[in-house]
Amino acid sequence: MHELREDPLPAAPPPPQPRGRAIVVTSGKGGVGKTTTTANVGIALAATGARVVLVDADVGLRNLDIVLGLEARVRHHVLDVLEGNADLDDALVSDKRVPTLKLLAASQTREKDDVDTAAFRGLIERLRERCDYVLIDCPAGIEKGFQNAIVGADEAIVVCTPEVSAVRDADRVVGLLGDRLSIRLIVNRLRPALVRRGKMLSVEDVNAILRLPLLGIIADEPGVIVSTNKGEPISLDAGSQTGEAYRKIARRITGSDTSVPEAPREASFFDKLFGGQR
Amino acid sequence: MSARRIVVTSGKGGVGKTTTTANLGAALALRGKRVVLVDADIGLRNLDLVLGLEKRIVFDLVEVVEGRCQLRQALIKDKRFGEMLAILPAAQTRDKTSVTENQFAKVIDELAEICDYAIIDCPAGIEHGFRNAVAGAREAIVVTTPEVSAIRDADRVIGKLNERGLPMRLVINRIRPDMVRAGDMLSVDDVCEVLSAELLGIVPDDEDVIDTTNRGEPIVLRPESRLAAIYDKIARRLEGEIVPFTTLSAPNFLSRLLGRKAG
Repeated sequence: MHELREDPLPAAPPPPQPRGRAIVVTSGKGGVGKTTTTANVGIALAATGARVVLVDADVGLRNLDIVLGLEARVRHHVLDVLEGNADLDDALVSDKRVPTLKLLAASQTREKDDVDTAAFRGLIERLRERCDYVLIDCPAGIEKGFQNAIVGADEAIVVCTPEVSAVRDADRVVGLLGDRLSIRLIVNRLRPALVRRGKMLSVEDVNAILRLPLLGIIADEPGVIVSTNKGEPISLDAGSQTGEAYRKIARRITGSDTSVPEAPREASFFDKLFGGQR
Repeated sequence: MSARRIVVTSGKGGVGKTTTTANLGAALALRGKRVVLVDADIGLRNLDLVLGLEKRIVFDLVEVVEGRCQLRQALIKDKRFGEMLAILPAAQTRDKTSVTENQFAKVIDELAEICDYAIIDCPAGIEHGFRNAVAGAREAIVVTTPEVSAIRDADRVIGKLNERGLPMRLVINRIRPDMVRAGDMLSVDDVCEVLSAELLGIVPDDEDVIDTTNRGEPIVLRPESRLAAIYDKIARRLEGEIVPFTTLSAPNFLSRLLGRKAG
């Protein structure tokens, strides 16, 4: 479908075994939940015992450290490693809660143009040699930061909200990803009540355009904003339905869950009464 | 004559730049100002969708820059606003490096001769697209939401605007008063303090925005919407009027129970 695409960089070398999987989380449009998805899926994957490294590719506008609540522990960042000013092991920040999870933070005071795309691919390769999953949190847009983020990955998770603008941007990104990466879709921030009233696109509406294998559906709920602001990803909350939706996504990635993603349950009377955070 | 040249930016994506650009532009047009909205998000344009003008695009910004058409030919008038509102669409199949900062600024200069407000919808991020969008502007509106990550990105962008000497004011978008009261969301005062920025507007989270955006109908065209009045106030503040800020009340118990917004 996308065979006319010009690939500015050579494809990644064929995968020798065993090597971790490198998955880029991308969207085109900003603010649809890439970082939240990366953090929650990463934590849920690590909670299964897998060794996971999360890489923030948003040089200059990093946020993954905040969402994970690790901002105070970041000492070195991607560019320190790429420029030889820090050891890769020293730059990896271990998560406080799930020890098999590590973060490689982006540089906040530098620019995406400072990152050499080929060197970034080499970095992802080195990470794949020492862990089971490398999740790369892609910046918004389709500029240099996007090119850097996708170069080392051979799988992609496209995050899309049920909005026409997000769908259009996601469709553009799918075209740019081309056939080299295997792509799956997460529909984020669905409000089933609005869909029922015809005021929001349904998952089917979204995927009628994107036509991607569905990896998961996440509801819009205030609990996600709260957990993000607090640096405590909701997938750590054993009682949260949204947390469970992220854990399911992690199991679909590992292959231990082959169920078809379902739209979130309607909020009940009591959910509404208590703000949907039960 | 020379128009006001305002860039709407944020750093973080998805906080409401395009929605703010469309509604603020529409509110100014309804007040009798001649407004041109410029989509600087080359490759990922959306302003045309939000205004429902996507089917009428013939030429785009890149074609203007490359001299393939006249500026006026590329402008799409929004007929709902008479002669007052037009957009200059971005190219969808090109990338942001196909236009330089100087070329972008030149287009805005030319636009400034034919309107009262040129409002530039900046792409997310702080890469080439951001630099282009800012190059043509004389003032900035920074849009943020009350979330730690959005505020951190806004702070970085404000630093970049200061370096260029661009005056800026803040629009805080998608406030949920009930969450602020429950201590689950940062308040307007918190945000203004962190960013030490002057406030231009406060816009509550309203589910009607999703629907109107999907339909390509700016919410200011629905006079019954509380957001129409709020965007009109922001327009008046831009015009120099001193307009008090609305106190946002949380949806009451009953409307929350029924899943509707308060009246």
